[in-house]
Amino acid sequence: MLQPVERPNIYCETLGPDQFGIIEKPLTLVEQIYNQVWLRKIAILVFLALGWEIYGRWLDNPLLVPPFSDAVRALYTDVANGIIPQRALSSIQVLLVGFASGTLLAGLLTVFAISSRIGTDFLDTMTAMFNPLPAIALLPLALIWFGLGAGSLIFVLIHSVMWAVSLNMLAGFRGVSMTTRMVGRNYNLTGLRFVWKILIPAAFPNILAGLKIGWAFAWRTLIAAELVFGVSSGHGGLGWYIFESKNQLNIAEVFAGLLTIILIGLAVENIIFRFIEKRTVQRWGMQT
Amino acid sequence: MASSATLATNSTRAGAASPETALRGRAADSDAGRPLLDVRGVTIQYKTQAHLITATYRVSFNVLQGDRFVVLGPSGCGKSTLLKAVGGYLAPTEGEIKLKGELITKPGPDRIMVFQEFDQLLPWKTVFENVMFPLKTTGRLHGKAAQERAMHYIEKVKLIEFAHSYPHTLSGGMKQRVAIARGMAMEPDILLMDEPFAALDALTRTRMQDELLSLWDEIRFTVLFVTHSIPEAIKLGSRILLLSPHPGQVKAEINSVPRGQEHSDEAAALGREIHKMLFADQIEEAPHASAG
Repeated sequence: MLQPVERPNIYCETLGPDQFGIIEKPLTLVEQIYNQVWLRKIAILVFLALGWEIYGRWLDNPLLVPPFSDAVRALYTDVANGIIPQRALSSIQVLLVGFASGTLLAGLLTVFAISSRIGTDFLDTMTAMFNPLPAIALLPLALIWFGLGAGSLIFVLIHSVMWAVSLNMLAGFRGVSMTTRMVGRNYNLTGLRFVWKILIPAAFPNILAGLKIGWAFAWRTLIAAELVFGVSSGHGGLGWYIFESKNQLNIAEVFAGLLTIILIGLAVENIIFRFIEKRTVQRWGMQT
Repeated sequence: MASSATLATNSTRAGAASPETALRGRAADSDAGRPLLDVRGVTIQYKTQAHLITATYRVSFNVLQGDRFVVLGPSGCGKSTLLKAVGGYLAPTEGEIKLKGELITKPGPDRIMVFQEFDQLLPWKTVFENVMFPLKTTGRLHGKAAQERAMHYIEKVKLIEFAHSYPHTLSGGMKQRVAIARGMAMEPDILLMDEPFAALDALTRTRMQDELLSLWDEIRFTVLFVTHSIPEAIKLGSRILLLSPHPGQVKAEINSVPRGQEHSDEAAALGREIHKMLFADQIEEAPHASAG
């Protein structure tokens, strides 16, 4: 039979935190540079632009693919002479109206959906029917109903924004934890106050995701609609600019128009939505 | 052997009803006023997909002003369900719950609930804003008064330096302290605590219990506390309600040891007694099972 080994109790003195120096090792310069997200992203963009430039020069056919530098030059010229800013502004105006009203309607629809069972069924059915329907497919009808102008564009924009946003909002509202809801009810919050003070902030990550998707849908729909029927209320937007340039075989300008769309999209995503995210869901720890 | 144990528990059970009511009668006499919270014959049932489940069956108890009333029972005894009913989130199928003589029908800020889950803090508000939130939304206090009240209770739970931090930057214990501060800032008639320390590690839990008790020494609030831990019940409670599982029925309503004597021999004896009562069911069930 094995005898347990007799062991003494051991007591140690520990050092206080003031006895330790701060131990840290600075990262190398390369590591520091590589850690910058924007630098990495810019590197990717530069790489793509270089590829385009080289291919364009090698192809040597400006009617098919003008080099990157030509597109940038066309962009610079038309920005300087005010054509692109004016077109972009006209597009953005329509876009904002459509996006804002689509989001507002989505909000109303979703609040209706969570406050009653028939509302939920209504939203479910409507999104199932209309979400897969491309907004552009409604354009011919919209033209008949609202005529050749901003009205039709806004109609298709609302259609493209509303379903995506309300689907996300509803998913967000449904995902709010039981505890959070009970906390709200504990303080006598009901109805719209409950939605405003508890549900919307708690579902904000989903709502924001919905807004981003809605924004992208709206942009696509708008440019496509402008390409199809061009001028709205006297002055065309970016889609019309692209269409016009193509007709005049100014392919560099076509690319300039596309670049403008990309740049605006990047700006909205990286400046406006980033800003909102930083101030809200990231600060609240709801998104890492 | 087994059958004699069954007999013994049966006899204590049968005898329990009359002394218990007698006891309550005496308590009511000595206290002059009516109880703060009066739970009478409460049966709670709820439906799942396939079953109608009875969570508690004819549970009665009274909570007096300044009580640290602990509801103790194993999981499945409906203690959380009972607390939700007191909170007004569920309606009992039978019986009634009265707070200060008024029937409880819906949630309200006179009964603030402290949950076990950490997501009871609103992540989009700082500690300070969280504590102030109910004061403002219920319209109890505004502006400077609300700020002062919030700060007062944040100081009480020793979180002053974190007042402007967001909840996700706090540890579990700190989050629960914020929730307690938020509850107490409302100065409710009764604070409902649903296993608030169960999700904490053992060391933090002990510290939180001590802090809760020292807060009680200072403010003497009334608290209804739900737990499944016998030591926690003995340490925190002034009075302990013991529930049996499936469905929850009152097994006993007993006094705990005096404040600060949770390590005494008395406390140990009480712990053994409670332990025996909770496990009596299992001894009782065994012969039934073999017979059936």
